[in-house]
Amino acid sequence: MCATHVITRISNVLIMDRRHFFKQSTLASSLFFVPNFVKAFENLATTGLGYKRLVIIQLAGGNDGLNTIIPFNHDVYYRNRPTIGIKKNEIIKVTDDLGFHSNLQPLKKLYDQGHLTIINNVGYPNPNRSHFRSTDIWQTASNSDQYLQTGWIGRYLDAYGNKPYNAIEIDDSLSLALKGQNINGIATKNPQTLFRTSQDPYFKNVLQHYQDEHLSEHNLGYLYKTIIAAESSAKYIFEKHKTTSNKQEYPNNEFANQLKTTSRLINSGIETKVFYSSLGGFDTHAGQPNKQSRLLKIYAEGIEAFVSDLKQQGTFDDTLILTFSEFGRRVKQNAANGTDHGAASNLFIIGNQLKKPGFYNELASLSNLDDNGDLKYSVDFRSIYATVLGKWLAVEDKTILNKNFPKLDFI
Amino acid sequence: MKQQDIQHLYWRAGFGVTPNQLKTLSNMDKHQVVNELFQNSSSPSRLEIDTSELDHFTMKSVLKDKSKRREFINKSTEKLKVFNTIWVNRLVTTDELLREKMTLFWANHFVCRDNNIFHVKQYNNIIRNNALGNFGDFVKAISKEAAMLKYLNNKQNRKQKPNENFARELMELFTLGEGHYSEEDIKESARAFTGYSHNYEGEFAFRKLQHDYDFKTFFGHTGRYDGDDIIDMILDQKQCARFVCRKIYNYFVNDTINEERVEELANVFYKDYDIENLMRHVFMSDWFYEEKNKGTKIKSPIEFLVGMTRTVPVEFKKTKDVLKIQKLLGQILLNPPNVAGWKGGKSWIDSNTIMLRLKLPSIILSNAKISIKEKGDFEDNFEKYYSKKKINKFVSAKIDWETFDKEFSNSSFEDLNHQLIIPELSDGTETYLKTLSQNSKRNFCVQLMSLPEYQMC
Repeated sequence: MCATHVITRISNVLIMDRRHFFKQSTLASSLFFVPNFVKAFENLATTGLGYKRLVIIQLAGGNDGLNTIIPFNHDVYYRNRPTIGIKKNEIIKVTDDLGFHSNLQPLKKLYDQGHLTIINNVGYPNPNRSHFRSTDIWQTASNSDQYLQTGWIGRYLDAYGNKPYNAIEIDDSLSLALKGQNINGIATKNPQTLFRTSQDPYFKNVLQHYQDEHLSEHNLGYLYKTIIAAESSAKYIFEKHKTTSNKQEYPNNEFANQLKTTSRLINSGIETKVFYSSLGGFDTHAGQPNKQSRLLKIYAEGIEAFVSDLKQQGTFDDTLILTFSEFGRRVKQNAANGTDHGAASNLFIIGNQLKKPGFYNELASLSNLDDNGDLKYSVDFRSIYATVLGKWLAVEDKTILNKNFPKLDFI
Repeated sequence: MKQQDIQHLYWRAGFGVTPNQLKTLSNMDKHQVVNELFQNSSSPSRLEIDTSELDHFTMKSVLKDKSKRREFINKSTEKLKVFNTIWVNRLVTTDELLREKMTLFWANHFVCRDNNIFHVKQYNNIIRNNALGNFGDFVKAISKEAAMLKYLNNKQNRKQKPNENFARELMELFTLGEGHYSEEDIKESARAFTGYSHNYEGEFAFRKLQHDYDFKTFFGHTGRYDGDDIIDMILDQKQCARFVCRKIYNYFVNDTINEERVEELANVFYKDYDIENLMRHVFMSDWFYEEKNKGTKIKSPIEFLVGMTRTVPVEFKKTKDVLKIQKLLGQILLNPPNVAGWKGGKSWIDSNTIMLRLKLPSIILSNAKISIKEKGDFEDNFEKYYSKKKINKFVSAKIDWETFDKEFSNSSFEDLNHQLIIPELSDGTETYLKTLSQNSKRNFCVQLMSLPEYQMC
């Protein structure tokens, strides 16, 4: 092993758990006296996991991609959407054909700065139009007729992670996406609450009395191991979280709070590779314009604050933000000023290392639709996962996705 | 019958056993105990819900008028939440333990999800009625249920345009398991299920014009088969008995599979596909009561919740609280994750669910407090201790400790331990429990329920 390797490994251990490290490593004493030297390495790529982070945001309910990025030069668009089609003069135009919803001004800024890639027509073969099932498909990266019981981030943890906190969902409970075969991510909306829960004196006492036999491979052993891991993860996340603060004001809403927490954790140098959060309410069957406008505003303003916060703390370079929705919506509006469940839609990649900022590909035809009247997909979402896994997180994507998907070149 | 064996049987075939039941049962032999279990479940009681609010909807209004349809779905979705709690309540109060446990098992075998309360209720009761009956009849009934016809798209399966979804899952998940049929078998059998549909009320309707009456070649045989014929031909495969018995073994005996036992069960089951006979064989077998099968299963969220409230009755004030608990624990009845159902076992457990599980007894029963008073500490009385914080923020519930007191009045602390905890406690945990003040059985009950060992059955 070369010297740099040793140092990176050691500093990694230090980041993860100093106490544990001191117990374990014989090199501890020498490094203990050069904290600055060690600290210098904390901001470098440190582990087999690497240092780059992925933030995933689900716009839950099925965001209407066509009223988010609007094809304002297509008569078909206005013909199909006589009352909910967005008027040309209200659109933030960016190309001859496409423009942003007026509440996406902050996203337009990112677009101008080269921080945003929009991938059109993302979907999968034989699309399923149930929220439930389609979310499942996106979270497990399965075919539409395949039922997987582990999520794609969970399988990433199985292969490359070792602690629940390697993937954190900013929520009260864990999504399938973060569940692996042998290791699961951890969910927390509030690191302090999670920590308090884990510090119940009764449990601490029970754990103190645990014996090795508890840690066998049997089910009960698995419970004890999970409790111990949960306790130390909660503690670790809490301690990391409290070392940092936000350098940026955030809007006051639940979604912005999720990003605020994510930012604090990222800036703490936590050993977390994937953050997962969501913004719900996009199921706009009726009265779509107001509902969607409000949500897009929440999304865009939250993202703006988040990016600005990361930039100020020098962590934007190593953060990639992926925003998806389980499906887009029907091209033709319905009678209730809304839209019904559709298929392919657009997906946003935000970051500072984009190879192809702007529009990655053309919008699919609005007249050549599938049997349901939905956009046909041209990019399989698993190709995007493969790209993110292979090129951003630098891992073997095939192991995780169980198949080789062609990678794209947006990063 | 030995107490430990009774507890094991009652946890696997039900949701635990109360001290009084245990006392009565321990005077009987195994044969009598098992018999009584089946006797109590001999005739099914339907699960009902008042749906009169939805009576004014007609087929015409729901099909033709979009806003009516939306209104119907919204009302129906609300009813489903109530139906969920009615089901949970049934599990807590029923004497038909085995039938209800089997109903849970089959609901996670013939997995289905729908938003029409009438169809869901009917489906749920079809499962309950067939839970201990003939497996062949069961599969045929399921294939004709409105909720299933919708869920796996068999309703869209027409001669002109076959839909293979149901045929595929029928073999992959309901009867044979992956790898025991060909793609061609799926295509051909899908044609046999064409024309299956249902009316507004949820009754099966066979659409002759959409049925493919032509020859189909399935498993090497050729004929003008319909769906029932296909199911009979599947049942002819011994693999079908093996597949189901493997799942039964995994659910009722041990999630570490013993292939020899599975084969033994398959031999029994293959004879007549009689579910009751199969379960009788399981519960009468000596190997069922072997130590390695006891206390090794991780309770499902529902088993955990129901077991707990069967020991200390809890009346939840709000429907949404009951659903919230299920959601956070990772199992909402009537809401399976997908057609493969809940995986069970270790997959119930992650950092968040395990912390909640350990905490839930104290959250519900004692305002999130678990007494850690050591022996000799000054003793408050129990009421005073727990009345400090009256409002329970997490759930609003009424706790019936009096019933618990009555039920456990003759139990010593030592008894309580053995009644609530199925696996052996380690010496360390036992020692720790002994350091705690043993003043209140209620306290001790919450302490025991907060142990990792309480998660096992």
